[in-house]
Amino acid sequence: MLFPTVTFAVFFLIVLPVSWSLMRHQSAWRLFILTASFVFYAWWDWRFVFLLAASIVVNQTLAVAIYRSEAVAARKALLAAAVAFDLGVLAYFKYTNFFLSSLDNALGTSWIANVTLPVGVSFFTFMAISYVVDTYRGELVPTTLMRFAVFQAFFPHLVAGPIVRARELLPQLDEPRDPRRVDTGRAFFLIVTGLFLKVVIANHLATHIVDDVFAAPNRHSSLEVLVAVYGYAVQIFADFCGYTNIAIGIALLLGFEFPQNFASPYSAVSLQDFWRRWHMTLSRFLRDYLYIPLGGNRKGRILTYRNLLLTMLLGGLWHGAAWTFVVWGGIHGLGLAVERATGWKPHTRVQAWLGRLLTFHVVCFAWIFFRADSFSRAGDVIVRLFDAWGQGSPLVTTSVVLAIAVGVVSQYVRPGAVTPVVSSFQRLPVVAQSACVAVGLTLINTLGPTGVAPFIYFRF
Amino acid sequence: MLPAYKGIAVLALALFLAALLQAEGLRKQAEIQPSGFQRDVALRVTKPLVSFSRALHLTTPRHELQVAIGRRDEDRIDTQVHLNLNLPPPATTPPIVQKPKLQPKPVFTAAHPLRVWVAGDSLAQVPGDALERLGGAIDVVGVESRLSTGLARTDLYNWFTRIQQASRQLHPDVVVFSFGADDAHDYMGGAHVGPFGSPSWIAEYRRRIDGVTRELNAEAIRVVWLGLPIPDGPGFRKSFPVVNTILERVARAHAKDATYVDTWHHLDDFHGRYAQYLRVHGKLTQIRAADGVHYTQAGGDLVAAQVVTQLRTWYRLRS
Repeated sequence: MLFPTVTFAVFFLIVLPVSWSLMRHQSAWRLFILTASFVFYAWWDWRFVFLLAASIVVNQTLAVAIYRSEAVAARKALLAAAVAFDLGVLAYFKYTNFFLSSLDNALGTSWIANVTLPVGVSFFTFMAISYVVDTYRGELVPTTLMRFAVFQAFFPHLVAGPIVRARELLPQLDEPRDPRRVDTGRAFFLIVTGLFLKVVIANHLATHIVDDVFAAPNRHSSLEVLVAVYGYAVQIFADFCGYTNIAIGIALLLGFEFPQNFASPYSAVSLQDFWRRWHMTLSRFLRDYLYIPLGGNRKGRILTYRNLLLTMLLGGLWHGAAWTFVVWGGIHGLGLAVERATGWKPHTRVQAWLGRLLTFHVVCFAWIFFRADSFSRAGDVIVRLFDAWGQGSPLVTTSVVLAIAVGVVSQYVRPGAVTPVVSSFQRLPVVAQSACVAVGLTLINTLGPTGVAPFIYFRF
Repeated sequence: MLPAYKGIAVLALALFLAALLQAEGLRKQAEIQPSGFQRDVALRVTKPLVSFSRALHLTTPRHELQVAIGRRDEDRIDTQVHLNLNLPPPATTPPIVQKPKLQPKPVFTAAHPLRVWVAGDSLAQVPGDALERLGGAIDVVGVESRLSTGLARTDLYNWFTRIQQASRQLHPDVVVFSFGADDAHDYMGGAHVGPFGSPSWIAEYRRRIDGVTRELNAEAIRVVWLGLPIPDGPGFRKSFPVVNTILERVARAHAKDATYVDTWHHLDDFHGRYAQYLRVHGKLTQIRAADGVHYTQAGGDLVAAQVVTQLRTWYRLRS
């Protein structure tokens, strides 16, 4: 079920009032919300509900066993078993085809497989890993199976995050939410802006320039390729940030607070700053469960660089089973290592702006590998950036430039700037609030291209 | 902060108002769904919604906005099958009595390229992109793929109107069509027919394929019909061959200016079964997407190569 569809609107119109009416009866509420989440997930492919259920049962069993066990060796073995199970699931569904075709290229084997990737498998697996590891570290007491199931399968974050930690969501699940104080103003603001980003900005850029140019870069002028590269940077931000905004807004209406996932990433002054602002819940997951266990920056300069590079390479591979994603991670890892080695930090305004400009362009360059479906295509895009100036550029239209401008300028809106708008909205009577939201939805639906494109991050 | 019940009220009322403001768009969304329970319910719900919204002139703001951004007809449902059937029918008997003159094939080069328009459902996109990448003597003037559309459901998207527009606007020498994957409906917009695969369905579908071919040929545009590739699983196993047979027969009837590319047998394995991987230039290559229907980029390249082979029977293509 996709958020910007009539089907989801109907689903949520049923779930929201029932959820609040059951809130005081926590057992019934948990059963209802878990059922609703499974229905939400089964809408794509009901068979994968069993995978989700298996992930819940196995991780909960092992987390409880870790918690109860006192022997260090046994705890380590149980943790290893849990992580091996989770990574095994991920490896099987995400990397079997990639591994076999790489093996074929290297050894000339003929093993093939046809594995369908379940939607959101990376996200719910990462949440399970964080739950088990936090239990092992003694930072978390495992909850009941039912509570853990709701935590892992809760539909607003189920298919594309944000990657919520157990210690963030479980305490909220332990107590009924207060029905007298729901942050509806912020919720509707996030939902409407999220839909705008996804339906108007991301879909427009995808259908009007990005898809065409990346399908056949050599058929387009350098200007079109350049605008498509910028366009993709804005598209992927609008697509993913839009999805996250909707998810956070929906959770807020249900009474739950999710962590922020984006904070104007294209205004970052360095790559390190960028990763504090882009997909923040993944960044902190990689930091806490990969970079720091690898040694972080505690074991000398060389090993710090190695850890940065390794973390980003694996982060790249997480996005997809292709070497282009590894290169994308490698560019970021290398950039982070260089920043660390030179100790570069902006001290003046001019330096900050230079840093923003450079960071944005390094990020855009890396996006070329992320978007292109092969190295040769990425190479075509890069070469074409230089060798076809002066040709006609019919794809560079006012609406495309406007969409990119909106995406870039939005990065420089102060976080508090929208607070008065949300407050004013919240002071309006119910009918006026409804009218504002309805007009917003109509504008978005009318301005956006027809059809609903899936969110980019669903396949990760 | 508001009480939860007020939040629910805002949401419910907002969705209702939005539904009224976009009633015609919702009506179209309902119409274009695949036949079945969901479509029936959606049609029943949207019918009074449209009447009510029109009575209150609530459809006007959306319509005005659509006019302003140049998408005036977006909510219109056009089921007309625009075919000029006054064209002469194709010759059914070989007319050649005298010895045919050997005429040189028209030559196309990078400087004077062959204009090719690729159109169809979602299966058209990847081969279209592959043709576009070839460049040289082939100039792909457009790749137009519209998800879940075809020549059966004109209510979903009217390709007949679009084909007429495109032939005037783009002036292609050749069009490459990929249709049929989404045409296995018992309901055919613009005509009353029996269930999919019935004689009346086949006759109407053939009339449409034939009409499009004749119209384009009459404008000196040659047509390449891409057959449907062998699918994985039983889902499309019955419907694809029905469509392929029609495409092949129509192409054969217009053999001078139309051709059929058999992707089914080109992409199956040695035993005639579905293959997700084939060995291409000695390397095991994934040619079909995980859904068992669509092409991967490599699969698209194979189909494009087949198209080029067909084009070379008509033209001399110099890169």
